[in-house]
Amino acid sequence: MTGEALLHKGPREGKRGRTIRSAWPAVCVVCVAAILGAYLLLIASNAVYLGLSDARWFITKHRLWVRFWLTIRTATLATCFSMIVGVPAGYALSRLRLPCRTLITTLIDLPVMVPPAAVGVFLLGMVHIFPVKHISNLLGLSFAHNPAGVVLVQFVVTVAFCARLMKASFDGVNPRFEQVSRSLGASLPGTLRRVTLPLARNGIIAGTIVVWARAAAEWEGLMLFVGGTMGKTDVMPFSVYLDWNGGMMGWVVVFSLVCIVLAVVSMAAVRLIGGRSYAW
Amino acid sequence: MKNAFRLKYTAAVLGALALVVACSGCGKKEKVMLFHAGAGQRSSLLDIKDVFERRHPDVCINFSFKGSGYFIADIQRSKEGDLYLPGEEFYVLQAFERGFLEPYDPEKDVTAHFMPVIMTPKGNPKNVRKVADFARPGVRVSLANPKSAAIGIWHQKIFKKAGIWEQVQKNQVQSPKCAPEVLAGVQHAVVDAAIMWSTTAVLALRDIEIIPIEPNYRGFVKLPIGVVRPPYCKHPKLAEQLKNFILSEEGKAIFRSHAYVIDPGPLDEDGFCADGGKASAEDCKWIIEAARVCKDESLPVNEQTCGYLVKEVQRQRQTKRAGTLE
Repeated sequence: MTGEALLHKGPREGKRGRTIRSAWPAVCVVCVAAILGAYLLLIASNAVYLGLSDARWFITKHRLWVRFWLTIRTATLATCFSMIVGVPAGYALSRLRLPCRTLITTLIDLPVMVPPAAVGVFLLGMVHIFPVKHISNLLGLSFAHNPAGVVLVQFVVTVAFCARLMKASFDGVNPRFEQVSRSLGASLPGTLRRVTLPLARNGIIAGTIVVWARAAAEWEGLMLFVGGTMGKTDVMPFSVYLDWNGGMMGWVVVFSLVCIVLAVVSMAAVRLIGGRSYAW
Repeated sequence: MKNAFRLKYTAAVLGALALVVACSGCGKKEKVMLFHAGAGQRSSLLDIKDVFERRHPDVCINFSFKGSGYFIADIQRSKEGDLYLPGEEFYVLQAFERGFLEPYDPEKDVTAHFMPVIMTPKGNPKNVRKVADFARPGVRVSLANPKSAAIGIWHQKIFKKAGIWEQVQKNQVQSPKCAPEVLAGVQHAVVDAAIMWSTTAVLALRDIEIIPIEPNYRGFVKLPIGVVRPPYCKHPKLAEQLKNFILSEEGKAIFRSHAYVIDPGPLDEDGFCADGGKASAEDCKWIIEAARVCKDESLPVNEQTCGYLVKEVQRQRQTKRAGTLE
């Protein structure tokens, strides 16, 4: 397709306008190609650095799969918890007339902006004070140096993100449909279940996957809050750091490549499911 | 649509089950110890764990690896821990002062010593052979930040003692914040030479050349160990046992197999070698041999060719890029 065909014709344009019109798509295509090329170069160079025989050796190692499943498990759990809180919170932000709404939305966004390492530090303090300490004692849960701590960090880092994405999904649903449903006699929970949630479905699914990918990529908070315990808290991104510290470049590259594959697969899943929201 | 939501509930329940499974890692063992350690000591301590757990089947040692300096923040908040092994004596003294450790004996409670060596990229392109070569114009040098890495302090000490600090600073092209960053710089030939601990240098035998430092510039730094005090320490007797095991001949041999120096011989008041390098001569010899054998696939890997570094060479020979035996 030529550049001319890619753009709509404007009402009035001179010769210069036409030149820009035909050059602009080419510039865009070149930029996209440059970004993709750079990504490909990054991944390919690392794959070459590792080499085929090494890749085969590392992939058969138990160590890789222990950390792989640990990452999947903790990120999935953290996503479940984030969704349980995030969906109602997103609904509230989108639909309810809350007092000081701007302030509340800003505060909810905090963990998205604050560095994950700072979240780790705050968590260190939080789990040893009144309500949290007593509740975790009651449930027999300890958050230090175990996978529960990993899930907690991932949850805290992603929950705000989740609420934000859920808000965007609900914002995309026309409130008119809900009003009609209510006026026809459906209850609020009934409307929520039969109208709002199904209409927001694609956004919610896409949001879930993005939240999951964010949880699976978290590690700075982990280093400060739970520390690296072999096979228990060293999820893949954390292993990249620990193995780099131990001079094991092979593992560093393998874990990085697997992380990239996970990210690509999850984003492809968002596209395939047809998830759409304001952010993605 | 209903089905989709039922699926979600099922996923949540499955997730909760996964949590229960995930939390029961050391479930069967009765005594679970927590060992705080610097991330750099990981490989040696995992070997220690293997041997100690085999002898005490009811014990499970968990590690919390992180930057040595994070220990105080961690123990203050988590109130958990049995032993502490940071990469520097300063941290142990600080933790003792704050009341987290049992009394520390600076003579006896030393696991091993760090020894600096010269590292160059494979093939040594700028032919760096001695400390004075760092001052040669055109040699790209890495000088670590002394505020965040102990090796940075020693860069200053060594080059100042040699009287070339000013010139070396002119050659500086990198200022890493931690030891692995210095190693990575040499590994990827960003710099032509750097001084680094032998125990870090030995991690990349295939990619770098290792040259011992002249004895009068060869400094040694202690790797201390401290036992955490009750009530933070849940198993004081076991902690003492594990400490004694690490300080025994057998424990020290494990550290030696990761290129720590056990006996540096007499030192002067600045921590530099005072015996002309006699005590550490064997350590230097095996490090050079290990680097040579690891690169040359035609040479066999055994105790005759690699000495006590044989396991390290075997590990790195397995793959082109280093991984673990685990």
